[in-house]
Amino acid sequence: MFRAEPLVKIRLHMLSSEVADAALELARFGIYSPAQHQPEILRENPALAYREAWLEAEARTVKLVERCGDPADLSIPEDAEAPTLLDLEELNSWLKEVWVTCMATYEGEVRIADEIRHLDALQDTLGKLEHINVDLAHLLRPDGLLAVNIGSLPATSVKRVGEALSMTGYIIHNFDTIGDQVYAVIAGPRERHSEVRGLLSQAGWRELPVPEELRTHPKTAHAWLIEERKRVEQQNLAECAALETLRGKYRSGLDEARLRVELGRPLAEAAIVGVRGQGALASLSGWVPRRRAGELKEKLEQRFHGNYWLDVEEADKQEAATIPSLVRYPAWLMPFVPLVKSYGIPRYGEFDPTLPFAFTYLLLFGAMFGDVGHGAVLALLSILFYRRLGKAAWIGIAAGVMSMLFGVLYGSVFGFENMIEPVWISPLHDPIKVLSIAVAFGVGFVTLTLLANARNRLVAGHSAEALFDSGGLAGLLFYIGATGSIASVAGATTISSPFWFMALAGICIVAIYKWLETGAGLGERALVTVIETLETGINLFSNTLSFMRVGAFSLNHVALALAVFTLASGLGTAGHWFAIVLGNVVIIVLEGGIVAIQALRLMYYEGFSRFFSGDGNEFIPLKLMGIK
Amino acid sequence: MSAYLDTRVSLFSSRLWQDEDFRALIESGHDELNGILAERGLPQLAAGLDTLDSRSLEQRIISQLLDETTVLIRPLTGSERNFLLYWTERFEIGNLKTLLRGKMTGERPAVLLNRLTPMGTFGHLDIQELVHAEDVSELLRRLESSHYADIVRPARRAFEESHDPFILDAALDRAYFEGLEHRARPLEDGGGKLLRHLMGALIDRLNLVWLLRYRFNYNLPPAQVYFLLVASHYSLPSSQLKKLATLASQEEVLAALPESLRKLLAGTNDIPEVFLRMERSAADRASKALHSGAPAIVRAFAYLTLRERDLRSVRAVLRGRLLGLPKADIRLAMLHACEGSA
Repeated sequence: MFRAEPLVKIRLHMLSSEVADAALELARFGIYSPAQHQPEILRENPALAYREAWLEAEARTVKLVERCGDPADLSIPEDAEAPTLLDLEELNSWLKEVWVTCMATYEGEVRIADEIRHLDALQDTLGKLEHINVDLAHLLRPDGLLAVNIGSLPATSVKRVGEALSMTGYIIHNFDTIGDQVYAVIAGPRERHSEVRGLLSQAGWRELPVPEELRTHPKTAHAWLIEERKRVEQQNLAECAALETLRGKYRSGLDEARLRVELGRPLAEAAIVGVRGQGALASLSGWVPRRRAGELKEKLEQRFHGNYWLDVEEADKQEAATIPSLVRYPAWLMPFVPLVKSYGIPRYGEFDPTLPFAFTYLLLFGAMFGDVGHGAVLALLSILFYRRLGKAAWIGIAAGVMSMLFGVLYGSVFGFENMIEPVWISPLHDPIKVLSIAVAFGVGFVTLTLLANARNRLVAGHSAEALFDSGGLAGLLFYIGATGSIASVAGATTISSPFWFMALAGICIVAIYKWLETGAGLGERALVTVIETLETGINLFSNTLSFMRVGAFSLNHVALALAVFTLASGLGTAGHWFAIVLGNVVIIVLEGGIVAIQALRLMYYEGFSRFFSGDGNEFIPLKLMGIK
Repeated sequence: MSAYLDTRVSLFSSRLWQDEDFRALIESGHDELNGILAERGLPQLAAGLDTLDSRSLEQRIISQLLDETTVLIRPLTGSERNFLLYWTERFEIGNLKTLLRGKMTGERPAVLLNRLTPMGTFGHLDIQELVHAEDVSELLRRLESSHYADIVRPARRAFEESHDPFILDAALDRAYFEGLEHRARPLEDGGGKLLRHLMGALIDRLNLVWLLRYRFNYNLPPAQVYFLLVASHYSLPSSQLKKLATLASQEEVLAALPESLRKLLAGTNDIPEVFLRMERSAADRASKALHSGAPAIVRAFAYLTLRERDLRSVRAVLRGRLLGLPKADIRLAMLHACEGSA
């Protein structure tokens, strides 16, 4: 729970023909993360063609299921085998055929929608032309001197098309706009129509063919339009029925395709980094937890009966930056994991701060937002919205409970300071004490972060940094000495000399270390040493003083409540209670939000930045995703 | 912010190549090549030069330009940032054309993927999804719901009507450069007189070269040629382009140009020559803008155009050397290197 599990690197060698099944077995094992280990003797990546075919099959299957399929859940049989490259290629050919059929139906639907739009436009056109008393039959005569076209084009092209048409003696007249399409009549000398054709095509002009029926009497035209609409609707029903038939026809085939695609996923994904080979030999490489290596060997033995070779090697500390981190957390701690991961992933071997983070975050939140009533509301709201919030609701519940606990300690209920006696301290009545406790907490917190950093440096093999750097034990020596010295000056302790000595020794060690570590000329070296040593002191104390905000926010909480009560006291009974309820809502929403962010900020910037590199790689196991 | 950008541009401008740098690149021995490239801020190009194909070289050049753009846009906001970001979208439009051509010829997704230029954080397209489109129609449909919907929509309508790849390319180019002109306009109106000059040099060059090419190489009718040009308000405004498109020969077109352009193009015989002269003139303008007290955004844009010109010339030299061409041919190739950008 405090650090990543020890991992071993594995190399599984087998025949190329079995590599897909091996990857599937590793995915079923559930805790193998593919990676490429150095040095790599095998030069080729035999799974690239497999991945390519798989990606194609996956893309087609997803599209087909979306358009023509029935996306029901499917289970993966225990004994199912991974598809070979040949299987995937065959599957791809079949999917392509199905795609062509489905697309024909889909295009049919699009065509029908287009025809309906076309009929609407025709009806509209007819309505408009009726009023202007134009003889359509005469106007659209194919042997006239005037060439007339009715159609649509994108609205963005209209101006430009008009300008271009004017160069050939043509004019354009818009009579309607539907969406981004403008419906227009284009007319001009027939002998120059060939010049216009290319332009119209380029401009995305779509001709609106006016059937003979529309060129006659308006009543006949209307009757024709009604008939046409009926015909198109029937066609639409037929297309829907065809799609349903297709769904029935291809359902089992598409289910099989989904299954195969899922079974092929492990090798296709491992192919990115974890598969090498040469000739008939293939090798899968990656990481597994040391405690599960024996189990993996057993599983491989059961499946491949000795027809493989498994190399298991301990992880090298020097590779820590590239080894993935696998940390197991108890279920109750899981809601806090995303908050830590949003800062970074612990490097392999690095101290994982999730557990102390969870406790300290809740403690800080409770201390800054201590109120029995507000905490209860927060907890109740988190329970109420449990489904919507998911795991994050647990953080809300825990923060609410912690807030209630501090409310009891502070004696505060919905801002009323006299409803219950404070068990520990009332921030309003003893603000200096509250601020002092917050700073003392900060000293403890910073000390722990320095210890954690020294430990991380030691584990990473940087013992000099762990001992002598400002973030190591020398920095800690200075910090404790300087803090003690300040405390003795303030009269909090009578011990003085040992603290001064510790502070001096600590800062001298840090300065000497900086001097030796800086590889530069004399002047630059001196400058870097002075500045970095000074920075050590400034940072440590500014980080500590930052914790005063914990006390300040607990005071702020009381002050806000006081402001609400002052406002409410000037109002009548109804107004009084309305102001108190509204004020409490504001406090919960506004201050609750600010305190949640401040607690996170303290953890990230005063805590994590001191010891947590967060530049690790997540252990992403190869897994079967399930088919939904 | 403007001080930061000004300083950045000034620092970057020392990376621009001079004639003697190109001479050194052409004349140098094989062992010196890496050193020269690294010295001129192009270590990316130097790595693995011997095994580099032309596609990878192009990809590295674009990657270098994108890296430098990332630094330049850092302090920019609003229309200035939009303008430089849109300028980088040319490379993604190039990817889009590669995808369309690949789908027309039934290219395999893996092959297509290798041909595309990685756009990094500048990318807007879901490449994996697009390379797996079954055909051009599906690809265009998917593109219509992408960042490039406004550019692709008219192109799709045009392509559906004619199924002519030329129409698709021309429609994409026109839509892109109209978008660029549209984004430059507020910056020009805000006192960017030099930006107007730079944009004018770019759009006028494109319009004139396209006009000559469409009209006299492809024999398209005047109205269609005019439609394919970028609506412009520079030296060759729309009214002028309309007149030029109706003229019967290249000589007549060149003779009818405004005074400044006529002088510049006097004695040119072919379209590549027209392009080269206009391109050189544009580079001179960009160089003047870069070394002037123009607003930082104008200097940044000038730097990027000059840098791209340099890098295309470097690419021509490197390709020539890889192919083992004689030095004279390499010099000639270098001169024509920027033609690909039109």
